[in-house]
Amino acid sequence: MRFLILLSLSFLFFTSCKDEKKNHPSNPEIVSTAEKIKYAKGFSITNYKNYTEIIVTSPWPGSQDAFRYLLVDNDEDIPEFRESAVIIKRPITKIVAMSTTNIPALEYLNVEDRLVGFPSTKYISSEKTRALIDNGHIKDLNNDLEINMELFLELQPDLVIGFSVNGINKSLNQIEKFGYPVVLDGSWTEEHPLGRAEWIKFIGALFNKQDEANAIFESIETDYLEAKALALKIKEKPVVLSGSMFNDVWNVPGGKSYIAKYFEDANTNYIWKDNTSNGSIQLNFENVLNRARQAEFWIGAGSFQSLEDMKNSHKGYSYFDAFKNKNIYTYTKKIGPKGGLLYYELGPLRPDLILKDIINISHPHLLKDYENYFFKRLD
Amino acid sequence: MQNPKKYQLIFLALTLLLIVCFFTNISLGSISIPNRAIIKTIFGTSDNVSWHHIIINYRLPKAFTAMIVGSGLGISGLMMQTLFRNPLAGPFVLGITSGASLGVAIVTMGASLFGGVLLGVLASKWTLVMAATLGSFLVLLTVLIVSTKVRDAMAILIIGLMFGSISAAVVNVLSYFSSAEELQQYFFWGFGSLGNLSWQELLILFVLYALGILLSLAAIKSLNSLLLGENYAKSLGLNIKKSRLLIITSTSLLAGTITAFAGPIAFIGLAIPHITRQVFSTSNHKILLPAVFLFGAIIMLICDSIAQLPTSDYTLPINAITSLIGAPVVIWLLVRKRKMMF
Repeated sequence: MRFLILLSLSFLFFTSCKDEKKNHPSNPEIVSTAEKIKYAKGFSITNYKNYTEIIVTSPWPGSQDAFRYLLVDNDEDIPEFRESAVIIKRPITKIVAMSTTNIPALEYLNVEDRLVGFPSTKYISSEKTRALIDNGHIKDLNNDLEINMELFLELQPDLVIGFSVNGINKSLNQIEKFGYPVVLDGSWTEEHPLGRAEWIKFIGALFNKQDEANAIFESIETDYLEAKALALKIKEKPVVLSGSMFNDVWNVPGGKSYIAKYFEDANTNYIWKDNTSNGSIQLNFENVLNRARQAEFWIGAGSFQSLEDMKNSHKGYSYFDAFKNKNIYTYTKKIGPKGGLLYYELGPLRPDLILKDIINISHPHLLKDYENYFFKRLD
Repeated sequence: MQNPKKYQLIFLALTLLLIVCFFTNISLGSISIPNRAIIKTIFGTSDNVSWHHIIINYRLPKAFTAMIVGSGLGISGLMMQTLFRNPLAGPFVLGITSGASLGVAIVTMGASLFGGVLLGVLASKWTLVMAATLGSFLVLLTVLIVSTKVRDAMAILIIGLMFGSISAAVVNVLSYFSSAEELQQYFFWGFGSLGNLSWQELLILFVLYALGILLSLAAIKSLNSLLLGENYAKSLGLNIKKSRLLIITSTSLLAGTITAFAGPIAFIGLAIPHITRQVFSTSNHKILLPAVFLFGAIIMLICDSIAQLPTSDYTLPINAITSLIGAPVVIWLLVRKRKMMF
């Protein structure tokens, strides 16, 4: 019995080691201008006289924490009121990023040469960055869950742009323990395609390039909205199916997911548009066949390269009209030199290209002389 | 029986080997740092900031963690093999790892089921450690209660295995509904890791480990009596239930905390006692316990040095190395000796 008490005590000692996060409201008397964020819901940027504050409220789905980052250009500008905020000193000359989706943003802002380390560089496809990897400027840090700490520490980056699927990330925790500032990119939690692209403003602020980031985003937004307006003029809405099977489970984008938003903006009739999930939904084969057998287009069918491949992986695919009429499209048109799909890397920053591809597939000849950027038709 | 003089020599040799392995371990890594610089860094006279970080905050805690993990798991494995008189027993037969795995699976993969509510409350750098501790603690508590109720040690063994099956089933259900990233996170935890403890965390680990080691020292006499069988031990005046509780508590403390901080490290707990018995040709725990301590620490340091793949940019998971290196050694020892010391 005495042992049990001892054990319980040692356990209690453990559970009491949790660190508390406090968030204080900013002092309202200080003059500040908030950056206008139109689509993204997960972050805000506020410019104060001597520093910039970024608050990330949605680093991962269902997060209860907000993360405050203060960007300062001189040591004396660090505000007194900085509890629980991460201080980031600009200029940032060396960064480590964790997600390939950051790469195009860095390239568009002309700061790709600040990237000195990346876990699993083989996944990077963008040309300019690829060249920096090949000439040894960017070091491979193993992978994002098990960063090679020794290589990382030798690099001594000014900042790490990370992400976390659920708030638990061993590598990022370790990096923070060593005292390197980490910012969390939550762009992938956005539900609007333009919301994901708008995170270029977040990257822009880190590098003191807010104006450039705004200009880049505006041109993408204009392009997207023009394409959407054009599509909405068409009367018929072709029925669209999406997703593919893993084992015997069919993963389909939910009705509130950002993929479904593309189908809506391209003026198509997505079969699961009334579903309320913002992620993917798992359905069985019968259910999908029953509802989608006659769908006209099948857009986003995994990463298959041919109809033959599809049929070999599951005979059931060939029962669909879209298969019989060769109306299946996958986002495998552009593959990087190391086999990475450019769709995953550049897609989040260029929703205008994805939307135009989908419009071009579902309303042929609407866009004059347009050639699909990401999507290809399977033969 | 060999003579005590010879034992002293072997112990001296092992201690020297441990010191050599320790320094070899901290001098090897992805980044090549000259030995002179390492010594300078340790004594604080080097001005290279990144080397200071690498040696002081990464390699040193990693080497200490390796020693704690190797010796702690080796000793708890030895105690389990003696208690259950089963050469296949290891530190995890009580279901401790299963409990820890279940805890970790719930926080890494449970989001899909619990809708992230759980994580909003939990997410911090302690999340995985806490989840693993809580999981193994609950299983252990059940095992302790059971061990005071049942007469037969074998029943405890079976109950431990049953816990393993139950938690494996729950983990399967969780994995079925989780995303690729969540699955990867859970699996990476399963590979074990020695290099992610700060000094502060290492101190907590050390305190609990030291407590476990002290309890194991107190159990030496009971362990030697148990070698003769429970009935015989009773006739020697041993209080079986009390000894059992002492041995199980010590094992759980060691295996539970090590698993919480470093993940489920494979193989060491099972193999080290066998290697030690073959080398020392004795079953006396007065000799075996310190010998297992030394062997465990040495082998874990060697495994970690190999896993770091010195001078290359890549590292391997520690669990792959422990089994790859350990299993052939045990096979070779058994074949050479033609019989098992047990």
